[in-house]
Amino acid sequence: MRLKHTTIAAALAVLALYGGLIASLVWFFDAATFRAALASERTLFSVRLSLIAATVSTLLALLFAVPAAYALSRFPFRGREAVETVLEFPIIVSPAALGAILLIFFNNPLGEWLQANVIHFVFAFAGIVLAQFVTILGVAVRMLKTAFDAVPVELETVARTLGAPPRHAFFTITLPLAKNGLIAAFILTWAKALGEFGATLMVAGTMAMRTETLPIAIFMRLASADIEGTVALILVLVAIGLGALFVARRLLRSAAHA
Amino acid sequence: MQALRSALVFALFALAGGASAAGRLLVYAGAASKPPTEEAARAYERKTGVRVDVVFGGSGYVLSQMKLAKQGDLYFPGSSDYMEKAKRDGDVFADTEKVIVYLVPAINVQKGNPHNIRTLKDLTRPGLRVAIANPEGVCVGAYAVEIIEKAFSPGEKAAFRKNLANYTESCEKTATAISLKMADAVIGWRVFEHWDPARIETIRLPAAQIPRIGYIPVAVSRFTRDRAAAQKFIDFLTGPAGQQIFAKYHYFATPEDAFAWLGARKPVGGEYVVPADWRTP
Repeated sequence: MRLKHTTIAAALAVLALYGGLIASLVWFFDAATFRAALASERTLFSVRLSLIAATVSTLLALLFAVPAAYALSRFPFRGREAVETVLEFPIIVSPAALGAILLIFFNNPLGEWLQANVIHFVFAFAGIVLAQFVTILGVAVRMLKTAFDAVPVELETVARTLGAPPRHAFFTITLPLAKNGLIAAFILTWAKALGEFGATLMVAGTMAMRTETLPIAIFMRLASADIEGTVALILVLVAIGLGALFVARRLLRSAAHA
Repeated sequence: MQALRSALVFALFALAGGASAAGRLLVYAGAASKPPTEEAARAYERKTGVRVDVVFGGSGYVLSQMKLAKQGDLYFPGSSDYMEKAKRDGDVFADTEKVIVYLVPAINVQKGNPHNIRTLKDLTRPGLRVAIANPEGVCVGAYAVEIIEKAFSPGEKAAFRKNLANYTESCEKTATAISLKMADAVIGWRVFEHWDPARIETIRLPAAQIPRIGYIPVAVSRFTRDRAAAQKFIDFLTGPAGQQIFAKYHYFATPEDAFAWLGARKPVGGEYVVPADWRTP
């Protein structure tokens, strides 16, 4: 009973901390500024841009991360240790440093060629997606590897002894059994992408109606010494981010139980 | 309520600053003067033993920080417009304001001028990638917009806007945009080429195209706990030792120096209201 109460208290403390911080925004809340922010085309653009970029970068990251994590979980191969080591690289270097590294990459011959012939990233939408993608890929692989590790290899082996090809066993046995990990990875990486700021700022710039995501809009409000505007946009980001995650969690859970 | 609010705000910004105490000064500074300000802070420490902590950032950003944290001894923005706001809002003691150096806007390009940009009009050439600082929050961006608005015809303005890749978030990032080849040209400060002489070259604008020159002011913050100590640092910056440091980085110490370089007298500082279509292009 004691354990139960202690752990619940810890859980509620998490809510109190984050809830308290969000509630503290009320001190600089200005209803007129908030209404104006909600009604402005510029805010709507930022919301749309943030949602689209975060979703695209998350899907791209999962597209890479699912097979990569499976390989790390199941197969010994040359370079595996190195891959494992590099996964936390985006977390260790700060987001601003990650953005700077991307910019420096675009100054080398390969980066220059890519920008000139394939796709222009700097100061463009593609730059937002790239900054978010690079930030979340390592975390996505790490989380998915843990999810695959939790699925017993024996189940795949049984399926294959019953005649299922490896690919079939992966899609019908491993992937469904790792669904909770997949859902968690999607939610965490999407949320991290939505809130990504440092690398995006470095690579994609701050122009409204072009590359101004919500986190960048918040920074520019603060940079204009407009604290009420900052608070209004933080509330928009919090509401949209938490709202979207709440809905996603419900949908994914009900789909998983179906 | 007030105590709780202060505690919260203080906790949020504790990492950004640190409380000012005896024998210590906290300066909120715009990044437009970063290299010499850092050097001046160290020189002042050596001379007086008073430690000078400097929080650098966009001029508006650090003003927000100072207001929210309710601390800091001096406000040292990158240009005059945020000082006007700080004075209006009572965040600094207006009578303590002093100008430290003067800034002249110019075009900045990569060293060697690979795109052969000679005039403002060259920035309208199809295919060029141009950047300016965000005119909403960064002073040098507002200067750039004013130059474009006054010098260009509507057609030229449209061509320039077509080449305008994006806005940078700070004064120093505008210089970095040239260093890291994010843009072919920016409209920044003349002094940028001295920040990164190996990569940045300044293209001088004719005096007729420069509506006004900028200046970097400093004033004592209303949150200071030791106004006299803060004033002493201002005296150091305006004195010969401080001015020598700024001169080393090629800032103009007087408006006359700037006018001599420009070849004409121009209005100094003030605020420019950026037209709405630059805020939401």
